[in-house]
Amino acid sequence: MSQPLPNPNTLLPLELVDKCIGSRIHIIMKNDKEMVGTLQGFDDFVNMLLDDVTEYESTPEGRKITKLDQILLNGNNIAMLVPGGEMPGDSYEGQ
Amino acid sequence: MSRKEALSSFIQQIHGRPVVVKLNSGVDYRGVLACLDGYMNIALEQTEEYVNGQLKNKYGDAFIRGNNVLYISTSKRRM
Repeated sequence: MSQPLPNPNTLLPLELVDKCIGSRIHIIMKNDKEMVGTLQGFDDFVNMLLDDVTEYESTPEGRKITKLDQILLNGNNIAMLVPGGEMPGDSYEGQ
Repeated sequence: MSRKEALSSFIQQIHGRPVVVKLNSGVDYRGVLACLDGYMNIALEQTEEYVNGQLKNKYGDAFIRGNNVLYISTSKRRM
């Protein structure tokens, strides 16, 4: 049985992510990693296809930054998605 | 749904292209992508293993079980 949505204005969580396709998105992973990239697509597991990605890895030595052209990111370790988010304090170059 | 098509077309496109596969452990594998499935199981050819950015090993063929994969990265093809 599919029950009707309580309010037609309700936005499902994945519909919010769907609205982000084509724009920048900030992804916070479970393990001290963050990614910022342009969202090209995703699937039901929230595996994500991203373009022009910057990977931020916080290590004891500081923040390690990796630039990547295009990635297929495994959804398994994703904790949070922030639409339109550039990395806060992006001017700070760790290391 | 259109959002999924981007992923499936990406999966079709990257066969035979040089890729970097990063595992959750932080180890990088660079090689030519031979095969990829829905579990993100990966077969790589001419594989090079980088630990902390340093080349540690080379393998002719390598199979990577998908649960270890953090991401698969390619450089954009320029025509």
